[in-house]
Amino acid sequence: MSSPSDAEVIGRSLGEPEAFGLIYDRHAATLLRFLGRRAGAKVAEGLVGELFRIAFERRKTFDMSRASALPWLYGIGSNVLLKHRRGEARRLRASALMAAGLEAASGRGSAAALDARVLFSRVADVIEALPDGEREALLLFAWEELPYQGVAEALELPIGTVRSRLNRARAHLRELLKGNGKSRVRSR
Amino acid sequence: MKPVDLARKLRREAAVKPAALDRGKAVLMAAIRQEVQPMRRPSIVPRLPYEDVGAALSFLERAFGFREVPAARGVRADGAIDHTMVEFGDGMIGLGAQGAHGAFSPKRAGTATQYITVHVDDIDAHHQRALASGAEIVSRLHDHLRDYRVYEALDVEGHRWRFLQWLREVPQTERR
Repeated sequence: MSSPSDAEVIGRSLGEPEAFGLIYDRHAATLLRFLGRRAGAKVAEGLVGELFRIAFERRKTFDMSRASALPWLYGIGSNVLLKHRRGEARRLRASALMAAGLEAASGRGSAAALDARVLFSRVADVIEALPDGEREALLLFAWEELPYQGVAEALELPIGTVRSRLNRARAHLRELLKGNGKSRVRSR
Repeated sequence: MKPVDLARKLRREAAVKPAALDRGKAVLMAAIRQEVQPMRRPSIVPRLPYEDVGAALSFLERAFGFREVPAARGVRADGAIDHTMVEFGDGMIGLGAQGAHGAFSPKRAGTATQYITVHVDDIDAHHQRALASGAEIVSRLHDHLRDYRVYEALDVEGHRWRFLQWLREVPQTERR
Protein backbone atom coordinates (compact mmCIF):
# COMPACT_ATOMS: atom_id res chain seq x y z
CA MET A 1 0.00 0.00 0.00
CA SER A 2 1.43 3.37 -0.93
CA SER A 3 1.71 5.96 1.83
CA PRO A 4 -0.90 8.75 1.82
CA SER A 5 0.01 12.10 0.25
CA ASP A 6 0.55 15.14 2.45
CA ALA A 7 -2.81 16.46 1.27
CA GLU A 8 -4.51 13.25 2.39
CA VAL A 9 -2.77 13.39 5.78
CA ILE A 10 -3.72 17.04 6.31
CA GLY A 11 -7.27 16.26 5.21
CA ARG A 12 -7.43 13.49 7.79
CA SER A 13 -5.95 15.78 10.47
CA LEU A 14 -9.00 18.06 10.21
CA GLY A 15 -11.02 15.43 12.04
CA GLU A 16 -8.13 13.64 13.70
CA PRO A 17 -5.62 16.30 14.79
CA GLU A 18 -2.96 13.77 15.89
CA ALA A 19 -2.52 12.75 12.24
CA PHE A 20 -0.65 16.03 11.68
CA GLY A 21 2.32 14.54 13.55
CA LEU A 22 3.12 12.63 10.35
CA ILE A 23 3.60 15.92 8.46
CA TYR A 24 6.22 16.81 11.06
CA ASP A 25 7.94 13.45 10.75
CA ARG A 26 8.10 13.84 6.98
CA HIS A 27 9.33 17.41 6.68
CA ALA A 28 10.74 18.72 9.96
CA ALA A 29 14.37 17.82 9.18
CA THR A 30 14.20 19.64 5.81
CA LEU A 31 12.62 22.72 7.40
CA LEU A 32 15.06 22.68 10.31
CA ARG A 33 17.95 22.75 7.79
CA PHE A 34 16.27 25.61 5.92
CA LEU A 35 15.81 27.62 9.11
CA GLY A 36 19.38 26.80 10.16
CA ARG A 37 20.86 28.08 6.89
CA ARG A 38 18.92 31.29 7.23
CA ALA A 39 18.96 32.06 10.94
CA GLY A 40 21.64 29.82 12.47
CA ALA A 41 21.26 26.45 14.19
CA LYS A 42 20.39 27.89 17.57
CA VAL A 43 17.55 30.13 16.42
CA ALA A 44 16.34 27.40 14.03
CA GLU A 45 15.91 24.97 16.91
CA GLY A 46 13.56 27.39 18.59
CA LEU A 47 11.65 28.12 15.39
CA VAL A 48 10.97 24.68 13.95
CA GLY A 49 8.31 23.80 16.56
CA GLU A 50 6.77 27.25 16.13
CA LEU A 51 6.63 26.79 12.36
CA PHE A 52 4.75 23.49 12.64
CA ARG A 53 2.47 24.83 15.36
CA ILE A 54 1.43 27.64 13.00
CA ALA A 55 1.05 25.15 10.15
CA PHE A 56 -1.14 22.94 12.35
CA GLU A 57 -3.35 25.85 13.32
CA ARG A 58 -3.70 26.94 9.68
CA ARG A 59 -4.11 23.48 8.22
CA LYS A 60 -7.67 24.27 7.10
CA THR A 61 -6.20 26.79 4.64
CA PHE A 62 -3.91 24.23 2.97
CA ASP A 63 -4.79 23.85 -0.70
CA MET A 64 -5.74 20.18 -0.93
CA SER A 65 -5.05 20.12 -4.67
CA ARG A 66 -1.33 20.19 -3.86
CA ALA A 67 0.10 16.79 -3.12
CA SER A 68 3.17 17.99 -1.19
CA ALA A 69 2.97 20.28 1.83
CA LEU A 70 6.64 21.22 1.54
CA PRO A 71 6.27 24.53 -0.40
CA TRP A 72 3.47 25.57 1.97
CA LEU A 73 5.70 24.82 4.96
CA TYR A 74 8.57 26.78 3.37
CA GLY A 75 6.17 29.72 3.01
CA ILE A 76 5.28 29.63 6.71
CA GLY A 77 9.00 29.30 7.49
CA SER A 78 9.77 32.38 5.38
CA ASN A 79 7.27 34.40 7.39
CA VAL A 80 8.62 33.10 10.68
CA LEU A 81 12.12 34.14 9.54
CA LEU A 82 11.13 37.74 8.85
CA LYS A 83 11.38 38.40 12.57
CA HIS A 84 14.99 37.27 12.51
CA ARG A 85 16.35 39.37 9.67
CA ARG A 86 19.20 40.90 11.66
CA GLY A 87 20.84 37.58 12.45
CA GLU A 88 20.44 36.63 8.82
CA ALA A 89 22.57 39.53 7.55
CA ARG A 90 25.38 38.46 9.86
CA ARG A 91 25.17 34.87 8.65
CA LEU A 92 25.19 35.92 5.02
CA ARG A 93 28.43 37.82 5.55
CA ALA A 94 29.96 34.85 7.35
CA SER A 95 28.89 32.59 4.47
CA ALA A 96 30.46 35.03 2.03
CA LEU A 97 33.80 34.78 3.83
CA MET A 98 33.61 31.03 3.77
CA ALA A 99 32.69 30.91 0.08
CA ALA A 100 35.61 33.22 -0.70
CA GLY A 101 37.90 30.94 1.28
CA LEU A 102 36.75 27.94 -0.74
CA GLU A 103 37.35 29.77 -4.01
CA ALA A 104 40.81 30.80 -2.87
CA ALA A 105 41.62 27.24 -1.79
CA SER A 106 40.66 25.95 -5.23
CA GLY A 107 44.21 26.63 -6.35
CA ARG A 108 44.12 30.10 -7.82
CA GLY A 109 46.54 32.89 -7.14
CA SER A 110 46.26 35.27 -4.25
CA ALA A 111 44.97 38.01 -6.56
CA ALA A 112 42.07 35.72 -7.45
CA ALA A 113 41.57 35.00 -3.76
CA LEU A 114 41.31 38.70 -3.06
CA ASP A 115 38.86 39.07 -5.95
CA ALA A 116 36.74 36.23 -4.58
CA ARG A 117 36.71 37.89 -1.19
CA VAL A 118 35.50 41.16 -2.60
CA LEU A 119 33.06 39.45 -4.95
CA PHE A 120 31.37 37.29 -2.35
CA SER A 121 31.08 39.96 0.27
CA ARG A 122 29.28 42.00 -2.40
CA VAL A 123 27.05 39.06 -3.29
CA ALA A 124 26.09 38.95 0.38
CA ASP A 125 25.42 42.69 0.35
CA VAL A 126 23.25 42.42 -2.76
CA ILE A 127 21.21 39.54 -1.35
CA GLU A 128 20.87 41.37 1.94
CA ALA A 129 19.72 44.55 0.19
CA LEU A 130 17.07 42.82 -1.95
CA PRO A 131 13.48 43.61 -0.99
CA ASP A 132 12.06 40.85 1.25
CA GLY A 133 9.97 39.33 -1.54
CA GLU A 134 12.86 39.11 -4.01
CA ARG A 135 15.31 37.76 -1.47
CA GLU A 136 12.84 35.14 -0.33
CA ALA A 137 12.16 34.01 -3.90
CA LEU A 138 15.87 33.91 -4.76
CA LEU A 139 16.88 31.89 -1.70
CA LEU A 140 14.00 29.43 -1.97
CA PHE A 141 15.01 28.88 -5.60
CA ALA A 142 18.81 28.88 -5.25
CA TRP A 143 19.28 27.35 -1.80
CA GLU A 144 16.23 25.19 -1.24
CA GLU A 145 16.04 24.27 -4.93
CA LEU A 146 12.30 24.68 -5.13
CA PRO A 147 10.98 24.80 -8.71
CA TYR A 148 9.20 28.01 -9.83
CA GLN A 149 5.86 26.40 -9.02
CA GLY A 150 7.11 25.55 -5.52
CA VAL A 151 8.32 29.10 -4.89
CA ALA A 152 4.95 30.38 -6.12
CA GLU A 153 3.10 28.06 -3.72
CA ALA A 154 5.38 29.00 -0.82
CA LEU A 155 4.99 32.73 -1.31
CA GLU A 156 1.35 32.49 -2.44
CA LEU A 157 2.09 34.37 -5.64
CA PRO A 158 1.22 33.82 -9.29
CA ILE A 159 4.08 32.05 -11.06
CA GLY A 160 4.57 35.10 -13.31
CA THR A 161 5.29 37.28 -10.29
CA VAL A 162 7.84 34.75 -9.04
CA ARG A 163 9.51 34.82 -12.46
CA SER A 164 9.77 38.59 -12.48
CA ARG A 165 11.07 38.71 -8.91
CA LEU A 166 13.74 36.14 -9.71
CA ASN A 167 14.66 38.06 -12.85
CA ARG A 168 15.11 41.25 -10.87
CA ALA A 169 17.23 39.43 -8.29
CA ARG A 170 19.31 37.92 -11.10
CA ALA A 171 19.81 41.31 -12.67
CA HIS A 172 21.18 42.70 -9.42
CA LEU A 173 23.64 39.83 -9.14
CA ARG A 174 24.59 40.02 -12.82
CA GLU A 175 25.68 43.61 -12.42
CA LEU A 176 28.30 42.37 -10.01
CA LEU A 177 29.63 39.85 -12.48
CA LYS A 178 29.85 42.32 -15.34
CA GLY A 179 32.20 44.50 -13.33
CA ASN A 180 34.24 41.40 -12.47
CA GLY A 181 33.36 42.02 -8.85
CA LYS A 182 35.04 45.39 -8.83
CA SER A 183 32.19 47.67 -9.79
CA ARG A 184 30.01 49.12 -7.11
CA VAL A 185 26.52 47.78 -7.14
CA ARG A 186 23.88 50.39 -7.31
CA SER A 187 22.16 50.25 -4.00
CA ARG A 188 18.41 50.33 -3.99
CA MET B 1 29.20 32.05 -13.56
CA LYS B 2 25.42 32.42 -13.62
CA PRO B 3 23.90 34.83 -11.10
CA VAL B 4 21.94 32.09 -9.36
CA ASP B 5 25.10 30.00 -9.04
CA LEU B 6 26.74 32.96 -7.39
CA ALA B 7 23.99 33.03 -4.78
CA ARG B 8 24.19 29.25 -4.47
CA LYS B 9 27.84 29.52 -3.39
CA LEU B 10 26.67 31.23 -0.21
CA ARG B 11 24.47 28.30 0.73
CA ARG B 12 25.58 26.52 3.87
CA GLU B 13 24.80 23.00 4.82
CA ALA B 14 23.16 22.97 8.23
CA ALA B 15 23.34 19.98 10.55
CA VAL B 16 20.18 18.58 12.10
CA LYS B 17 20.27 17.52 15.73
CA PRO B 18 17.80 14.79 16.70
CA ALA B 19 17.23 16.53 20.05
CA ALA B 20 16.20 19.73 18.23
CA LEU B 21 13.70 17.73 16.16
CA ASP B 22 12.28 16.15 19.33
CA ARG B 23 11.83 19.53 21.00
CA GLY B 24 10.10 20.91 17.91
CA LYS B 25 7.77 17.93 17.84
CA ALA B 26 6.93 18.47 21.51
CA VAL B 27 5.82 22.03 20.66
CA LEU B 28 3.59 20.72 17.87
CA MET B 29 2.12 17.91 19.96
CA ALA B 30 1.30 20.36 22.77
CA ALA B 31 -0.65 22.46 20.23
CA ILE B 32 -2.42 19.33 18.99
CA ARG B 33 -3.34 18.28 22.54
CA GLN B 34 -4.60 21.77 23.22
CA GLU B 35 -7.02 21.43 20.32
CA VAL B 36 -8.10 17.88 21.15
CA GLN B 37 -8.65 18.74 24.79
CA PRO B 38 -8.59 22.49 25.41
CA MET B 39 -7.35 23.53 28.83
CA ARG B 40 -10.24 23.82 31.25
CA ARG B 41 -10.62 27.20 32.84
CA PRO B 42 -12.67 26.96 36.00
CA SER B 43 -14.19 30.25 37.18
CA ILE B 44 -12.37 30.12 40.51
CA VAL B 45 -8.77 28.98 40.75
CA PRO B 46 -7.12 29.19 44.19
CA ARG B 47 -3.40 29.76 44.05
CA LEU B 48 -1.16 28.48 46.82
CA PRO B 49 2.17 30.12 47.65
CA TYR B 50 5.18 27.88 48.27
CA GLU B 51 8.80 28.49 49.17
CA ASP B 52 9.86 25.65 46.83
CA VAL B 53 7.27 25.17 44.11
CA GLY B 54 9.14 22.24 42.52
CA ALA B 55 9.30 20.26 45.79
CA ALA B 56 5.64 21.06 46.52
CA LEU B 57 4.60 19.88 43.04
CA SER B 58 6.36 16.56 43.36
CA PHE B 59 4.89 16.01 46.84
CA LEU B 60 1.34 16.84 45.72
CA GLU B 61 1.66 14.45 42.78
CA ARG B 62 3.16 11.67 44.88
CA ALA B 63 1.11 11.96 48.06
CA PHE B 64 -2.27 13.22 46.84
CA GLY B 65 -2.36 12.06 43.22
CA PHE B 66 -2.64 15.54 41.70
CA ARG B 67 -1.48 15.95 38.11
CA GLU B 68 0.40 18.88 36.67
CA VAL B 69 -1.49 20.64 33.87
CA PRO B 70 0.54 20.33 30.64
CA ALA B 71 2.13 23.60 29.50
CA ALA B 72 1.13 25.44 32.69
CA ARG B 73 4.64 25.52 34.06
CA GLY B 74 6.66 28.76 34.22
CA VAL B 75 10.38 28.39 34.84
CA ARG B 76 12.81 30.97 36.21
CA ALA B 77 16.20 31.77 34.68
CA ASP B 78 17.91 29.44 37.17
CA GLY B 79 15.71 26.54 36.05
CA ALA B 80 13.51 26.47 39.19
CA ILE B 81 9.74 26.27 38.74
CA ASP B 82 8.17 29.67 39.38
CA HIS B 83 4.55 28.64 39.01
CA THR B 84 2.41 25.87 37.61
CA MET B 85 -1.07 24.36 37.87
CA VAL B 86 -2.28 20.99 39.10
CA GLU B 87 -5.60 19.30 38.49
CA PHE B 88 -7.57 16.62 40.25
CA GLY B 89 -10.98 15.48 39.08
CA ASP B 90 -12.69 18.61 37.79
CA GLY B 91 -10.76 20.90 40.15
CA MET B 92 -7.69 22.94 39.54
CA ILE B 93 -5.30 24.99 41.67
CA GLY B 94 -2.23 27.05 40.97
CA LEU B 95 1.10 26.76 42.78
CA GLY B 96 3.30 29.84 42.83
CA ALA B 97 6.43 31.25 44.42
CA GLN B 98 5.64 32.91 47.73
CA GLY B 99 5.97 36.66 47.99
CA ALA B 100 4.42 37.22 44.58
CA HIS B 101 0.92 38.70 44.97
CA GLY B 102 1.54 39.23 48.68
CA ALA B 103 0.93 35.64 49.73
CA PHE B 104 3.27 33.48 51.82
CA SER B 105 3.72 29.82 52.56
CA PRO B 106 2.60 28.64 56.03
CA LYS B 107 6.22 27.49 56.39
CA ARG B 108 7.25 31.12 56.51
CA ALA B 109 4.06 32.76 57.77
CA GLY B 110 3.84 30.29 60.69
CA THR B 111 0.21 29.52 60.08
CA ALA B 112 -2.17 28.41 57.38
CA THR B 113 -5.00 30.80 56.67
CA GLN B 114 -7.25 28.44 54.75
CA TYR B 115 -7.77 24.77 54.00
CA ILE B 116 -8.94 23.09 50.81
CA THR B 117 -11.49 20.29 50.59
CA VAL B 118 -10.93 17.63 47.94
CA HIS B 119 -13.53 14.99 47.09
CA VAL B 120 -11.99 11.61 46.31
CA ASP B 121 -13.38 8.31 45.03
CA ASP B 122 -11.55 5.94 47.38
CA ILE B 123 -10.71 7.67 50.64
CA ASP B 124 -8.95 4.67 52.20
CA ALA B 125 -6.59 4.17 49.28
CA HIS B 126 -5.98 7.91 49.15
CA HIS B 127 -5.18 7.96 52.86
CA GLN B 128 -2.76 5.06 52.48
CA ARG B 129 -0.99 6.79 49.64
CA ALA B 130 -0.67 10.05 51.61
CA LEU B 131 0.67 8.19 54.65
CA ALA B 132 3.18 6.25 52.58
CA SER B 133 4.42 9.49 51.03
CA GLY B 134 5.09 11.06 54.41
CA ALA B 135 2.16 13.48 54.60
CA GLU B 136 1.56 14.67 58.15
CA ILE B 137 -1.93 13.51 59.14
CA VAL B 138 -3.50 16.15 61.37
CA SER B 139 -6.99 14.70 61.55
CA ARG B 140 -7.19 10.91 61.47
CA LEU B 141 -9.36 9.09 58.95
CA HIS B 142 -12.86 8.73 60.39
CA ASP B 143 -16.55 8.69 59.48
CA HIS B 144 -18.39 11.89 60.14
CA LEU B 145 -22.04 11.46 61.20
CA ARG B 146 -22.41 8.60 58.72
CA ASP B 147 -22.36 11.24 56.00
CA TYR B 148 -18.79 11.12 54.81
CA ARG B 149 -15.41 9.64 55.57
CA VAL B 150 -12.66 12.20 55.99
CA TYR B 151 -9.06 12.90 56.97
CA GLU B 152 -6.85 15.98 56.95
CA ALA B 153 -3.19 16.27 56.13
CA LEU B 154 -0.50 18.92 55.84
CA ASP B 155 1.65 19.12 52.76
CA VAL B 156 5.42 19.76 52.75
CA GLU B 157 5.04 23.43 53.63
CA GLY B 158 2.07 23.21 55.98
CA HIS B 159 -0.88 23.93 53.70
CA ARG B 160 -3.84 22.01 55.10
CA TRP B 161 -5.83 19.60 52.92
CA ARG B 162 -9.14 17.94 53.82
CA PHE B 163 -9.92 14.80 51.82
CA LEU B 164 -13.36 13.28 51.98
CA GLN B 165 -15.62 10.75 50.38
CA TRP B 166 -19.38 10.70 50.77
CA LEU B 167 -20.29 7.51 52.60
CA ARG B 168 -22.83 6.27 50.13
CA GLU B 169 -19.90 5.92 47.77
CA VAL B 170 -17.83 3.85 50.25
CA PRO B 171 -18.06 0.11 49.47
CA GLN B 172 -20.37 -1.65 51.94
CA THR B 173 -17.59 -3.89 53.27
CA GLU B 174 -15.55 -0.91 54.43
CA ARG B 175 -18.31 0.48 56.59
CA ARG B 176 -18.61 -0.21 60.24
